[in-house]
Amino acid sequence: MAEHHAVSDGKHKASTNAGGSVHGNSRPGAAGGGGGKGGLSGGLTQPAGWQSLLSFSILFLACLAGFSSRLFAVIRFESIIHEFDPWFNYRSTHHLTTNGFYEFLNWFDERAWYPLGRIVGGTVYPGLMVTAGLIHYMLNLLHITVHIRDVCVFLAPVFSGLTAISTFLLTRELWNQGAGLLAACFIAIVPGYISRSVAGSFDNEGIAIFALQFTYYLWVKSVKTGSVFWTIGCCLSYFYMVSAWGGYVFIINLIPLHVFVLMLMQRYSRRVYIAYSTFYIVGLVLSMQIPFVGFQPIRTSEHMAAAGVFALLQAYAFLQYLKDRLTRQEFQTLFFLGVSLAAGVVFLTVIYLTYTGLYAKIHIPIIASVSEHQPTTWVSFFFDLHILVCTFPAGLWFCIKNINDERVFVALYAISAVYFAGVMVRLMLTLTPVVCMLSAVAFSSVFEHYMGDDTKREKPPAEDSSDEDDKRNSGNLYDKAGKVRKHVSEQEKAEEGLGPNIKSIVTMLMLMLLMMFAVHCTWVTSNAYSSPSVVLASYNHDGTRNILDDFREAYYWLRQNTDEHARVMSWWDYGYQIAGMANRTTLVDNNTWNNSHIALVGKAMSSNESAAYKIMRSLDVDYVLIIFGGVIGYSGDDINKFLWMVRIAEGEHPKDIRESDYFTPQGEFRVDKAGSPTLLNCLMYKMSYYRFGEMQLDFRTPPGFDRTRNAEIGNKDIKFQHLEEAFTSEHWLVRIYKVKNLDNREPLDHKLRSVVPKQKYTSKKTAKRKRGHIKNKLALRKGKKLQKK
Amino acid sequence: LYCSYTLLSEKLTQMMEWASKRSVIRMNGDKFRRFVKAPPRNYSVVIMFTALQPQRQCGVCRQADEEFQVLANSWRYSSAFTNKVFFASVDFDEGSDVFQMLSMNSAPTFLHFPSKGKPRRSDTYELQVRGFAAEQLARWVADRTDVQIRVIRPPNYAGPLLLGFLLAVIGGLAYLRRHNLEFLFNKNVWAFSALCFVLIMTSGQMWNHIRGPPYAHKNPSTGQVSYIHGSSQAQFVAETHIVLLFNAAITMGMVLLCEAATSDMDIGKRKIMCVAGIGLVMLFFSWLLSIFRAKYHGYPYSFLMG
Repeated sequence: MAEHHAVSDGKHKASTNAGGSVHGNSRPGAAGGGGGKGGLSGGLTQPAGWQSLLSFSILFLACLAGFSSRLFAVIRFESIIHEFDPWFNYRSTHHLTTNGFYEFLNWFDERAWYPLGRIVGGTVYPGLMVTAGLIHYMLNLLHITVHIRDVCVFLAPVFSGLTAISTFLLTRELWNQGAGLLAACFIAIVPGYISRSVAGSFDNEGIAIFALQFTYYLWVKSVKTGSVFWTIGCCLSYFYMVSAWGGYVFIINLIPLHVFVLMLMQRYSRRVYIAYSTFYIVGLVLSMQIPFVGFQPIRTSEHMAAAGVFALLQAYAFLQYLKDRLTRQEFQTLFFLGVSLAAGVVFLTVIYLTYTGLYAKIHIPIIASVSEHQPTTWVSFFFDLHILVCTFPAGLWFCIKNINDERVFVALYAISAVYFAGVMVRLMLTLTPVVCMLSAVAFSSVFEHYMGDDTKREKPPAEDSSDEDDKRNSGNLYDKAGKVRKHVSEQEKAEEGLGPNIKSIVTMLMLMLLMMFAVHCTWVTSNAYSSPSVVLASYNHDGTRNILDDFREAYYWLRQNTDEHARVMSWWDYGYQIAGMANRTTLVDNNTWNNSHIALVGKAMSSNESAAYKIMRSLDVDYVLIIFGGVIGYSGDDINKFLWMVRIAEGEHPKDIRESDYFTPQGEFRVDKAGSPTLLNCLMYKMSYYRFGEMQLDFRTPPGFDRTRNAEIGNKDIKFQHLEEAFTSEHWLVRIYKVKNLDNREPLDHKLRSVVPKQKYTSKKTAKRKRGHIKNKLALRKGKKLQKK
Repeated sequence: LYCSYTLLSEKLTQMMEWASKRSVIRMNGDKFRRFVKAPPRNYSVVIMFTALQPQRQCGVCRQADEEFQVLANSWRYSSAFTNKVFFASVDFDEGSDVFQMLSMNSAPTFLHFPSKGKPRRSDTYELQVRGFAAEQLARWVADRTDVQIRVIRPPNYAGPLLLGFLLAVIGGLAYLRRHNLEFLFNKNVWAFSALCFVLIMTSGQMWNHIRGPPYAHKNPSTGQVSYIHGSSQAQFVAETHIVLLFNAAITMGMVLLCEAATSDMDIGKRKIMCVAGIGLVMLFFSWLLSIFRAKYHGYPYSFLMG
């Protein structure tokens, strides 16, 4: 808990400082752009020196706060890779560091998707692994020996600091330095971003948000300057983004949209032309270097908007060129209108196609089964963004009211990101940075006016001496430009009326809101986003903690006790973990590229034992691993996911599996006596509840009482014919079954046919006494045969 | 035997005649008894029991009816149309005796009356489980009668038409005012529409659009109407409207605060604006926080309101 307080204090201070410093440079900033450019040379005696020192320390504190608030999981548990996908990333990073880059690019993983295998090098975004591998290499070069796992665990928190810096840079370009500092503080601690970047969550998004923000910063910079240098920087950053995350599609659509809207607004300029032409060509060529992306940028509909805008820009530039030569203005404007209309129609169609594609994807069961692909409720927005979600429309308002080239960009960014975040919870991640920036703009504009320097009495508490200095010095700063000064004095005169009391009240209340935001962020991070999900923890009434380490226990058992080439069947959620922790071959995993293979596993799980055995034999399964939460009341177990298995299996095998068979006639999914017989005899049910009927957890409940579903199970007498229990972890969370080999000979239900008549025959004969025996010597028969011939 | 044969062919021609007029045959009690219940019959009938009269206020019935019509039309106008299967509907207000006869007390219900034998358990469509999408109904019908129906939905022209109309209106306006296109450069209009879009999205209207929740929940026993859903996983439409308003109020408060400091109105007005702004922000944010707290169980923080 000490950690908790330290973190939240640090954040609060950071945001307060940011607020305090805003007025120092925002006035000149309001006229144009970044304030503290010339100040770097001045030293501490110069006001600008103080300003840059202050900015630097605020940024540093923001990074520090961002880094440390992501460490909850490491401190509570240990330095461990979280969840599912990160285990694959970790495994491939490990492969990269042990075998080298080219080996990694050509890696064919025969341990996944048995018997198909998976070409890993060509089906991943390698940016994450290469980044972690490079850091590991550099550290080892400097003789700082760290294990690659620690590099992977701490990569996302480190990159969150870089994200804060690039957000600062971008916001400074858009508004002013004060807003930039506020935005950096916001993005450092906002839960919407922390959810994807806590320590241990070694996933693409962790580094991709940095790449996204940095690309946007460089893009805005290149539109502002029109220099090829910045554009090439933007392309390189875009290349990094393409190598890191599939979300690069967002960039390659947003930047053309920006250019298109700039043209519509008649804000076309040579700077835009240079920036976009360079960006499109170089970015296209670079993005095609990633094996997984390949020729997609010139094939798929997602990238067509960029190509269309490129063509349009060339046409527009050509017309502009002609315009200087020709005089028929009317004709040209008409022509322009026609071209832009046609282009707009093409653009809209492309967007529509993309949208319908996206929409269709949502309705495929395997995609719908992932909870991240759901639409977003307002509660999620508020939970992830708190005060920012309420105030960022105000920032958007200010940006549109004071529009310029780069603010067009941020407005488009906000509108498109908010749409995608509404459609899919997961895309909240792309919304978060722009919300931070625009909220920072809103708060900064308020502070700018209400922390005014015209009255010394109402300044915030004097403990921040740097704040006061900054304030005093900022007055001197204005002496530099006469024009700005005049503007300021006008405002001062106007502001006198509001009075110090109102101003200080407004300031205090705003700071209070920000403080609540910091507290909320810490609470959410600590409670919702810092669970490794590989290790579970439960709390007793007196606050002591039980660690449930069943997953690792079971995976380690697999690693130690099974054949090296054993094939483990499980639902796809656990594929990466089995491969990463147990190092065994899996049938399906979280890279859900082959739906029919997954459906086959789903079919095996939802069939009865003998039918399942046939499928498992054909897939060479040695072990089956399932997750069962009935003993400890863990709700994310396989019985709760079971309907998805049935649905996915039904999609491919509608003749054999029917979802309605697993429901009661009333349409309920029940595991007790009233449950449907198909469910009570399917493989998943039997494996989950094998021997569970003998177990009495509590004196108040009958034996075989499932705590997750609060029901006494309906089938307590479970016997296996083709499987045997191999391992059950301490809290029964993971159960592993061995698939028996075929018996030497199929035992028959009835006696052998040849035996029965013989016995009957002889008995019949013996019943007829010995006389018949003599007759049966059959000298007679031989004689007959001979006679006939 | 001959008598029943003529009766059968008579019934069949009658059914065919009705089916040619409208794809879903409307039945009352008499017709139902004669053509569905009475024995000589060699055709299957799929019947929707419903209550479409406006005073019944059955919203689900109307949606189910649309889907049923889609299915029946797909069958009626398909090339494989035969007299093996008919689609019919019985409205509660026209044939309440049928409802009593079958001891049915909920609508809509889909029943299949097979050509041979009595209806079995699986001849009742599991509405709760499978929903009333026409595709699901078609699968059920195919399962019961071996008649495969390919559901063909009449393409919905309303959306594109509306969009086209809107574009035409905008284009027309722009053309009429082509010498004075200043309104296109009005930042207030653009800023306002951007804000509207953002507020609509952040208040979860997209969730409503995809999931279709009820407007509010009325407790049947006490009659109390709750506008806020108790769980953080779901929401009512009313709730999202409230949140939209609150978000808008907070945004307006922030804008007012800035306006109060920068505008050149007289000082009294500006003071009022400033106080109103900070009041809006504080009041509605704490209110929003209290709603959030009520929904997100275990959330410890509140502000001004408990």
